[in-house]
Amino acid sequence: MPENNLLEMKQIEILFPGVKALDKVDFSLRAGEIHSLLGENGAGKSTLIKCLTGVHRMDTGTITLQGKEIHPQSPQHAMELGISTVYQEVNLCPNLTVAENIFVGRQPMRHGQIDWRTITKRAKELMARFHLNIDVSRPLSFYSTAIQQMVAIARAVDIKAKILILDEPTSSLDDNEVQLLFGVMRELKAEGMGIIFITHFLDQVFAISDRLTILRNGHLVGSFDISEISKVELVTQMIGKDMNTIFNLRRADVAPDAPFMLTASHIGAPGQVNDISITLKKGELIGFAGLLGSGRTETAELLFGATRMTSGQMELDGKQTDIKKPYDALMRGMAFCPEDRKRDGIIGDLSIRENISLAVQARRGFLHPLSLKEQNRLADKYIEALGIATPDAEKKIGELSGGNQQKVILARWMATDPKVLILDEPTRGIDIGAKAEIQRLMLEMCGNGVSVIFISSELDEIIRCSNRIIVMRDREKVAELDGETCTQEKILSIIAEGAATAGGEAQ
Amino acid sequence: MKKRFDFSTLARSKVTWAVVAEALILLVCLFVRPDFFKISYQPTTGMLYGNLIDIVNRSSEITIIAMGMTLVIALGGTDLSVGALVAVSGAIALKFLRWDVTIYNTPGDYTVYPFILVLFVPLIVCTLMGLFNGFLIAKGDIQPIIATLILMVCGRGIAQILTNGKQFTTQYSPFRVIGQGSLFFLPMPIIITAVVIALVVLFVRKTAFGTFVEAVGINRKASRLSGINAQMIIFIVFALTGFLSGISGLIYSSRIMSNDSNNAGLNFEMDAILAVVIGGTSMTGGKFSLLGTVLGSIIIRTIVTLVYYFGIASEATMAFKAVIIAVVIVLQSEPVRNYFAKRGKAKAMLANGGMRG
Amino acid sequence: MKKNQYIGRQSMISRILNPKFIMVYATIALFLIIYLFGALAYGNKGFTTLRTFTNLFVDNAYYGISAVGMTMVLITGGIDLSVGAVASLTGMFIAYGTSVLGLHPLICIVFSMIVGVGLGLLMGWVIHYLNVPPFITTLTGMFLARGVCSLISRESIEIKHAMIDALSGWRVNFMHLKDGQWVKVKPTAFINFNVLLFIAVLLVGMYLLQRTRFGRNIYAIGGNEQSAKLMGLPVGKTKVLVYGFNGMCSVLAGIAYALYVKSGWNLSLQGAELDVITCAVIGGTLLTGGVGYMIGTLFGVLLKSIIPALITFNGNLLSWWGKIATGLLLLLFILIQKIVVSSSGANKMKSKAKVTKE
Repeated sequence: MPENNLLEMKQIEILFPGVKALDKVDFSLRAGEIHSLLGENGAGKSTLIKCLTGVHRMDTGTITLQGKEIHPQSPQHAMELGISTVYQEVNLCPNLTVAENIFVGRQPMRHGQIDWRTITKRAKELMARFHLNIDVSRPLSFYSTAIQQMVAIARAVDIKAKILILDEPTSSLDDNEVQLLFGVMRELKAEGMGIIFITHFLDQVFAISDRLTILRNGHLVGSFDISEISKVELVTQMIGKDMNTIFNLRRADVAPDAPFMLTASHIGAPGQVNDISITLKKGELIGFAGLLGSGRTETAELLFGATRMTSGQMELDGKQTDIKKPYDALMRGMAFCPEDRKRDGIIGDLSIRENISLAVQARRGFLHPLSLKEQNRLADKYIEALGIATPDAEKKIGELSGGNQQKVILARWMATDPKVLILDEPTRGIDIGAKAEIQRLMLEMCGNGVSVIFISSELDEIIRCSNRIIVMRDREKVAELDGETCTQEKILSIIAEGAATAGGEAQ
Repeated sequence: MKKRFDFSTLARSKVTWAVVAEALILLVCLFVRPDFFKISYQPTTGMLYGNLIDIVNRSSEITIIAMGMTLVIALGGTDLSVGALVAVSGAIALKFLRWDVTIYNTPGDYTVYPFILVLFVPLIVCTLMGLFNGFLIAKGDIQPIIATLILMVCGRGIAQILTNGKQFTTQYSPFRVIGQGSLFFLPMPIIITAVVIALVVLFVRKTAFGTFVEAVGINRKASRLSGINAQMIIFIVFALTGFLSGISGLIYSSRIMSNDSNNAGLNFEMDAILAVVIGGTSMTGGKFSLLGTVLGSIIIRTIVTLVYYFGIASEATMAFKAVIIAVVIVLQSEPVRNYFAKRGKAKAMLANGGMRG
Repeated sequence: MKKNQYIGRQSMISRILNPKFIMVYATIALFLIIYLFGALAYGNKGFTTLRTFTNLFVDNAYYGISAVGMTMVLITGGIDLSVGAVASLTGMFIAYGTSVLGLHPLICIVFSMIVGVGLGLLMGWVIHYLNVPPFITTLTGMFLARGVCSLISRESIEIKHAMIDALSGWRVNFMHLKDGQWVKVKPTAFINFNVLLFIAVLLVGMYLLQRTRFGRNIYAIGGNEQSAKLMGLPVGKTKVLVYGFNGMCSVLAGIAYALYVKSGWNLSLQGAELDVITCAVIGGTLLTGGVGYMIGTLFGVLLKSIIPALITFNGNLLSWWGKIATGLLLLLFILIQKIVVSSSGANKMKSKAKVTKE
C-alpha cells in the first residue's frame, strides 16, 4: 500500500510549551483520494495540517511527498511544493475582485505587465466549472460567504496543487452548496488530486470520503477505509465514549397551561425578514430550521434588537415592549448568543471572568460595578457548572477552544437569569462532546422555566430538543411543526419545496 | 488568587520596559551629573525647584491630555484634534480676559468678564468639540483618525477666527496661578495634573467604565450585543479627551499669559499618543494602563529636559528624542519582548504555555 | 425578485458604476463643482484662465509627488508621518550642500535619496518585522528627520547654484495661434520641471499599482494582511518596499519644494504630512487600507489646492478660512463616503449565494 502514497507523514511529533500537541502521528494520503481527518477540537487536526503547510515546525518526524522528503517552511513554500489549503474562515482579500483573488501573486504577465484580460477570462472559466455564474469583476466582499469559500477553493485548485486541504470548508455552506462542493471534489479526485477533508459533519464524511483518520488528544487512533467503520463506531473512537450515553437527552416538558413568555406578531424590517409571528411559552424550546440565509438569524437579531424592527409588535411576559437596541432586550430579560461566536460573541483579550460578568455588568450600568469578589464568584460558579476547561478564571477567552468559548458566552447570559434565551447555532464548529453538553444545558434551563429559541443547521439536534419547530425559507416563516411528531424528511421537504421554487424564479 | 514572581510575565509587560527605560535614563545622568537631581527651596515663591520638579511640571500638559488619549487608544482609535483644541481653549480664555481700554491701555491685572467664564467657557467649548468627534465616530461610524483629522485641520483656523488672528496678552493674576502658581510647595500644574490623574483613575477603575472601554476597544459589536451601550462609551471618552485638552490649553496659555493659535499645543497629539504607547497601551486597542501613560509622558519630558541640561545643542532635542523613543519602542516590540521572555525560566513558559491551535 | 435585479447588474453600465470607483467619481465631481463655483464667482477676476489651472499644479506639485507615495502606504493600511520632515531634510541637504559646502546639487540629491529611501526601508522593516504600529514608527522617523534638519541649521539657507536656478527657471509656456503666429497665452500659463516630475511620479505610481504584482500585493495586504500571508504573497518585502518608495517620493517632493522656494529651512513643510494624507483621503483612499486610486489622489491634490486659490481670488478672506474650508471639505467627503459605503453594503445584503442549476 505505501508504494502509491502521494503523501506520507511519519512519526510526527510537535511540542508546544507545556503540551505535546502531536505524539508520533502517522498519516498518509493517496493520489485520487478524499481522506477525512477527524477528531474533537484540540485533538490535533489543525496542528497536523499546520505542520504540513509550514505554519508549525515539527520536532521529530518526516514528511515525504511523492517519495521525496520535504520540509515546508511557510504557507508559501508549501504552496510551491503543491500543497494548497482552504481554511474555514475565508482567507482572501475582500477588497479585490473575485478574479484577482484567484490570481493575485501569480498573475499571468504579458510584456512585463499584468494581463488583466486573461485573468478575467480564466476566472470566468474557473467559476463556470464550479457552476457559479457570477460577475468576477466585482469585489469579493460583494458576495456571500458561501461564494467566497468557493472562490478560495477555486484559487487553491488552480494552483495545480497535488494536495488540497479543506479545513472545515462546509461550516458556512447550505446543503445545495455542499453538494456543489462535493461535485467539484469528485472531479478533482478523478484528476488524481489528493484531498484532505476536515469537517465536523459526520454525514458529509460518509458521503464523500474514501478513507478517514481519527485523532484524539494528539494521538493517532487509527486510519480506516470508509466501508470498515460505522457512524456510531466512528463517534465512539473520536471521543472515547459511547454516543448513546452522550445523546441521552429528553425534550423539555411544557405544561399546557404555561403562560406565554414572548409573543411577536408580524415583525419585520426591510432587507431582513417579513411578517414573522412567533409565540413562546414559559419553559418551552422552539427550534428554527431553514437554510443559511433563510432569515433565521435575522429573526433572532430582530427579537433581540440587534437590528431594529420597523413593523410588528412584541409582547414580553404579557407586557407590550419596544426593543430598539440590545441593551433594551437585556433589561427586559432577554439573552442572545450570536451565530458568529468569534466575531460577535467573545471579547478575545478579556479574561473569562470579565467575559462572564459582562452582561450582568452592562445591565447594572458602569456606575454600579460588580466587585472583584462578586465577579470571581460568578466566574467560578459557571466554570464549574458548565465544565469550562481552564486552569483559572483569569485566562483570556481568546485562548480557549471553540466549545469552551461557547460555554463562556452561554455563562455570560445565564448569569443574567434570562427569561428568554436565543441561541444562534450554539453548537457549530464544536466537537460532539461539547455539543451534547450545550444541548443538555439548554434543556436544563427550559426545565427551570427559561424559554429558549434554538437555531441550528443540524436538523437532528433541532428535532431532538425542540417542543415546536419553525421552518424558515426566503426570509419568511413557512411552517410551524410539532417537535414530537416531526421528522427530518418532513422538514427537508418543506425547505426543499421552497428552494425549488426559489431556484425556478431565479432562472 | 495566587501571585507568583515570574520573569517572563514581567518581560512581556510593556510597562516594565517603560520603567526600565526611565530608570536607565536617570541612572545615566546620576553618574554623569549627580547635581541634576538637586532640589532646592525658594522661600520667596514658596516653591521647590529642581530638574525633577521641572520635568513633572513641564510634562503636565501632555500628561493631562494623554489620560484621555489612553482611553481613546484603548477604544482602538486616535484623537488627532487635541493639539488644535489646546489652541482653541487658549484663544477663548484670552478672548474673555479683556478689559476696558478706556481706563487702562496696557494689559494688567484686570478683566471685565468674571473669571468663572474665563475658566468654563473654554472647557465647555472643548468638551463640545470632543462630543463632535464622538458623534462622528459613534453615530457616523467614521474611523477616529479621520474624524478627528477634521478638527485638527480646522481647529486652529477656528482659534484664529475667535481672536481675529490677533495675539492677546494679559496680566490677570488669578489666571496666572493656573500655570505659574504653587500649592504645597509644588507648581500648580503638578497639583492640577495629580488631581486629574486621580479623578480619571477613580472614574475608570473604580467603576466598570474601564472594562467597558476595553470591551468596546477589543470587539465593539460583541460588546453591543452584550448590552453595552458602545456609542455612549465612545461619546464619553471623546468628550472627556476634549475636556482634558481644554484644561491643558488653560495651563499652556497661563504659562505664557497669552494665546498663540499657531503654536499652542503644536504636536501635542503626537506626544500624547507617544506617551500612551510608551506607557504600554497597544495602538490596536484593548487593555490599557493609565499609570503607564503618566510614565510615558514623563519619559518624553525627561529626554527634553536632559538635552537642555547637558547643554547638548537644543537643536538636537528632536533627534535625541527620536533615538531614545526608538530604543524604547524597539524594546517593547513583540519579537524583542518574546525574546527576553524566552530567556526566562522554562518553567514560567510552561505556566504561560499556549494551547493547541 | 431581488435575485433578478442582481443578475441585471452584471451589465456594462454596472462595470463602469462599479462601487469601487464611486469615490473617485465623487472627488472629480466635487472638484468640478468647486471649480464651477469659482468660475461663476470670480470668472471676471480671471479664475477661469488657463493660468489659474496650471498654477494649481505649479504651486502644489510637491504635495502631489508626496501624495503618490502616501497613497500606496495608505492602501497597505499603514500611514507615514515622516514625509514632511524628510522632504524638509532634503531641502536642507541641498541648501547646505550647495551653499555652505559648495557641493554639486546632484551629489546632494543622491545623498538625500540614500538617506530618504534608507529611512523609509528601515521604518518599513521596523513596522513589519518588529510589529511596531506604523503611526509610532513613522512619528519617530519624523522626529529624527526634523532633529537632523535642526542640527544642520536653524536658519533658512538660500540655495544658489546654476543648475538649481536653471531647473527652477525652466518652464514651458502655453502658446496659442494668433494672427498666424504662435504667441504666449495671456496671462501666461506654463508648466515647469516640478509639474513634469509630479506627472512622471504619478504615472509611475499608476503603473506600479495597476500593472505589476507588487502593486496588486499592496492592495491585497491592505484588504487583509493575514490572508495575503496565507495566500503566499511576499507581505514583508512588499511593505518594506512601499515605505522605501514613499521615502523616495518624500525626497522628490523635497527637491520639488527646494526648486519652488529656492531655500532650505529646518521648519519648512511642518504639518505637510497631514495635508498630504488629507489629499489622499479626499481622493478616495481609505485609511483602513485596501482602497485607493492614483487618479483619485490627483484630484484630491487639485481639490485641496483650489481652496487657497479661491481664497486668494476672494481677496477679503483671511488665510485661516482655508483651514476651515479644508476641514469642511474633509467632513463633506467623509459623509459622502459613508453614504456610498452603506448603500453598497445594503446591496451586499441582497446578493445571496446564487447557484445555477443544471
